[in-house]
Amino acid sequence: MKKMITLLMVCAVSVAAFANGNTESAPAPTPVATTASAPMTNGERIKAAAKEGKVGNWGLGNEYEIQALLTKYGCPTDFLSQDFTMDGFDDDSITLASAMTYNELGLVKNSYEGGYGYGDKVGTIDMNDEGVAMLEDNIFCTTKFAEENPNTVKAFLYASLKGWKTACADPEAAAKIVYEYGSSVSAGHQSYMAKEVKKLAETDTKGNHVTNYGYMDPDAMAQTLKLAQTYIKLDDHSAADKLKALTLDDIRDTSYWKAATDSKDGTDLGKPEKTSVKIQLKWLPQAQFMGYYVALNKGYYKDVGLDVQIIPGGGDIAETTAVYNGTVNFGVTWVSNLISADAADMNLLEVAQIFQRSGLVLVYKK
Amino acid sequence: MKKRLGIHWESTSTIVYPVLFGILLFAMWQGGLLNILLGTDTNTLPPPSKINSIISDNTAKILLNLKATVIVALIGLLVGSLAGYGLAIIAAEHKKWGAGGITLAAAFNAVPIVALAPVMNNLTKQLSSDVDFRSMLAKTLVVVIVCIDGMAVNAFRGLTELKPFAADLMKTYAASNFTIFRKLLFPNSVPYIFTALKVSLPASIISALVTEYFSEKVIGVGRQIRENIVTAQFATAWAYIVVSCLLGVVLYVVLLFVEAAVMKNRNRN
Repeated sequence: MKKMITLLMVCAVSVAAFANGNTESAPAPTPVATTASAPMTNGERIKAAAKEGKVGNWGLGNEYEIQALLTKYGCPTDFLSQDFTMDGFDDDSITLASAMTYNELGLVKNSYEGGYGYGDKVGTIDMNDEGVAMLEDNIFCTTKFAEENPNTVKAFLYASLKGWKTACADPEAAAKIVYEYGSSVSAGHQSYMAKEVKKLAETDTKGNHVTNYGYMDPDAMAQTLKLAQTYIKLDDHSAADKLKALTLDDIRDTSYWKAATDSKDGTDLGKPEKTSVKIQLKWLPQAQFMGYYVALNKGYYKDVGLDVQIIPGGGDIAETTAVYNGTVNFGVTWVSNLISADAADMNLLEVAQIFQRSGLVLVYKK
Repeated sequence: MKKRLGIHWESTSTIVYPVLFGILLFAMWQGGLLNILLGTDTNTLPPPSKINSIISDNTAKILLNLKATVIVALIGLLVGSLAGYGLAIIAAEHKKWGAGGITLAAAFNAVPIVALAPVMNNLTKQLSSDVDFRSMLAKTLVVVIVCIDGMAVNAFRGLTELKPFAADLMKTYAASNFTIFRKLLFPNSVPYIFTALKVSLPASIISALVTEYFSEKVIGVGRQIRENIVTAQFATAWAYIVVSCLLGVVLYVVLLFVEAAVMKNRNRN
């Protein structure tokens, strides 16, 4: 997910009113507790930050990987609530901050508009390397929609995956296309994002290269489900029971993806039952979703007989709810969000897994 | 016209009809008719029995979150109201620019809570390194700002709209400023204080709930509503919504009774 500076005005006001030195000058490097020759291990860093209570995450269903990581190192699972800026990391109120590789991490490192310009003065702890990765951006719809409109789902997948393939082949061009569709961030950040998103779409949790876009890797899916069942805490008794009972077959169906990838040119998938469809993004228009914008821009959707409308997300728009109540037909969400919605009887079905690995890291100042 | 505790009952109908309507609404909700009328399913609008079972299953957790919300709302209301009254006294002392000053102060109320909350988060970061304390403080400050204005505007009227010649009479007796305040101004402003509180109390709860959205600590009824809506747990979100409604209603009723008791004693004197 996430996360652009959506509260620009607020930031401007707060920075102007309480400019905290750090925003303009280079921050003093945090002294390392150990000797200069031995840098801290990830475990030591996590324990130190957890002890201080300075591990940050956005919450709202984005916290499970962080909680799994904290548990791995024997720390309590509470965290500080991060807003959608990296100001808390900048002013040291959060020492281990959550960041998506393609978004916040770029803002922290780079110096383009909206960036903090830390360059290589920051390091990261990667969820994939730590073995607590959970899969993120997917494509999903309701089970009912898939059953009633199988050809539409297959055609939509075919065109979307083609869009992803084209976007990853030339992320620079894809970034430009997204930018023209009304981007929430600067052109520089958009092009950085496109390159990073390509890595997530083409590399699995173990670091292997993936060529079949949208593939639902059974091991990674199973790990995601297992971690979700461990760390999603539901107050609703019946939903909590259902969560424990969920299997992979309840949350994803590979047959539509298989049909779409076996198709020659997308026109041999049968006549789409529903030709006008909407897809709800998880966040604002940005290169995180470049595949869909490229597919739209290049006419891939039109080629398979679909008229597709891309609905931007942002703020507290719950894409799971939007798909469930029929406002839109498809959505992009994190697998963990889909799991908690299914625990609440929403009967959502994943039909493709766009990001093959977790894009979440914890970032720290060296 | 019966008088009981200073509240006027026109007749039993003022109570009976709303209660009957409430019961009818509940019956429709529980029976599923409301879902049909609103075109929602039982997932987004679960029946009261389901909400009730979630509340009873999670009493300890709900109370923990409720406590955080109540502390923020009530301390903010108290401090904001005192500050508002103080402003009103200063403004009443200097009538020439006082009224204008109060109006300008009212502009603070136009700043949305959504914008105030992050500002307060940044401000409190400078004040304390204890996150639990500072996130409570940041939330309370937002409530304070929301509550100041209602009290200032109302109390200013209470301190300036006196009975004709009352102030002149006090001057004739050569009463000190403090005596004038104690004997004339303060008693005159009491009804206005309650008027302000009746507006500020619900506002304090609402602003406490909303500012929890942006707080550094994940706690409070408002934050729970948000977390559960975003993760599609509507039944649980409803449970927290019901709890916050109950909180508002209970505190409001308490305020009405306090007002009735105070006004009754005043009328007797």
